[in-house]
Amino acid sequence: MSNHDKLRELIIDTFLLDPSEYSLDLARESVDTWDSLGIVSMAVGVHETFGYHFTPEEATGIERVSDIVRVLESKGISFAA
Amino acid sequence: MPVVRETLGDSSALDAAWSDPRTFAYLPEKTDVREEWVASALAALPEELRSGHFALLTSGSTGHPKLVVGERARAERLARTLHAVQDSDPVAETILTLPLSYCYAFVNQWLWARVSGRRLVSTRGFSAPDLLRGALEGASDAMLCLVGAQVTLLERNFPDLVFPGVLRIHFAGGGFPQAELGRLAAHFPNARVFNNYGCAEAMPRLTSRRAEDAREATDVGRPLPGIELSLGEGAELFFRSPFGATAFYEQDELHLLSADDWIATGDLAERTEAGTWRLLGRANQVFKRYGEKIALARLLDTVATAWAGQANFYRERDRMQEEGFCLLLTPAPAEEDVRAVLKAFRAAHPRTHWPLRVESVPELPVLPNGKTDLAALATLVGKTIHWKNRL
Repeated sequence: MSNHDKLRELIIDTFLLDPSEYSLDLARESVDTWDSLGIVSMAVGVHETFGYHFTPEEATGIERVSDIVRVLESKGISFAA
Repeated sequence: MPVVRETLGDSSALDAAWSDPRTFAYLPEKTDVREEWVASALAALPEELRSGHFALLTSGSTGHPKLVVGERARAERLARTLHAVQDSDPVAETILTLPLSYCYAFVNQWLWARVSGRRLVSTRGFSAPDLLRGALEGASDAMLCLVGAQVTLLERNFPDLVFPGVLRIHFAGGGFPQAELGRLAAHFPNARVFNNYGCAEAMPRLTSRRAEDAREATDVGRPLPGIELSLGEGAELFFRSPFGATAFYEQDELHLLSADDWIATGDLAERTEAGTWRLLGRANQVFKRYGEKIALARLLDTVATAWAGQANFYRERDRMQEEGFCLLLTPAPAEEDVRAVLKAFRAAHPRTHWPLRVESVPELPVLPNGKTDLAALATLVGKTIHWKNRL
């Protein structure tokens, strides 16, 4: 499974999304379940899936799914196709 | 005073004890409670309770055995009241699937049959399914008393069978299977289904409603004639009943009860806009999580909108040491069922109200009285995890 697929599965699972809701452009403000506890859940899920601990600033600064990709790639986790 | 032990499938000893004016205790066929303890409880009864009464064993809220004492005349009046409220005239017999030492079956079936001149059909419940099947197939105008957990046993044992001779089905003693009414109707096309609520101290009935009169399993309807309900602090539900127990014995202490007393049910509840009563759960099933009040019974209503099988919760702390709970489904759900349940949670509740995990087991542990063994859920082996909340 590619890292993109893992991230997709994680985001759908964490925020209880319908798969059709998911995209890299998906914004925090458009997801009702992406609240403060949702951020904690997402950060735990990223650690379990990719082995990287978001700092609190990184976790709260994420506005879109693509921001997660950007942070993880900056830590050497590749999302190249 | 006599101590009578139940023999499953044979009520003759109970018939004899009821005909004897002396107060007696009626115990399950198997119990770890010593007869000496029961005898000492009976010995503690004051003179006025030493005749014309009966005593049944239940587990108290503290987990200690509790002997609850009822007056026979009151219980007989309750059985007649139930007959009228539940329109039982067309019913000619009642088929036992639960032990008679369980006060639900004792009053709703054995005593009802006695005072209304109906037939009691003894079976060994789902422990001898062929016998039960024979009774159900042979029935032409019967009443059944079940607990919710038995619906799964019914499905497993008689998946394609139809029993048109069952006219009434009562549920009590746990969650009402509102989500399974369709499946029940397929098995029992001519049955009216009732949700009954009460507790041992009520001996045992407080409310009753027809299944179709509410959509939520937690709605227990209205009090029976003569019974009053009220709320205390923290939504604790109290009752006052002319049919209630006269005493109980617990932890070597006798407590006398008056029909004028307000007695705690041990449940939390609220009144609906329609004037019925809605259970919020046992006192230990309502708690704060991240500052939000969680009522597990209400969350079962949410699960029931998306899942027709059985659902139970058990408590567990999350990784931040906040009180939480896990959802245990039976039988094993398909992936789309789990998604539907989670979607229902998302639509109706904030994340604080979501379970820590959604799990399943093929079969729930069952107590001798047919109820789910809730205390065993947390430590069950062989659970399948379908989803986990990462809090």
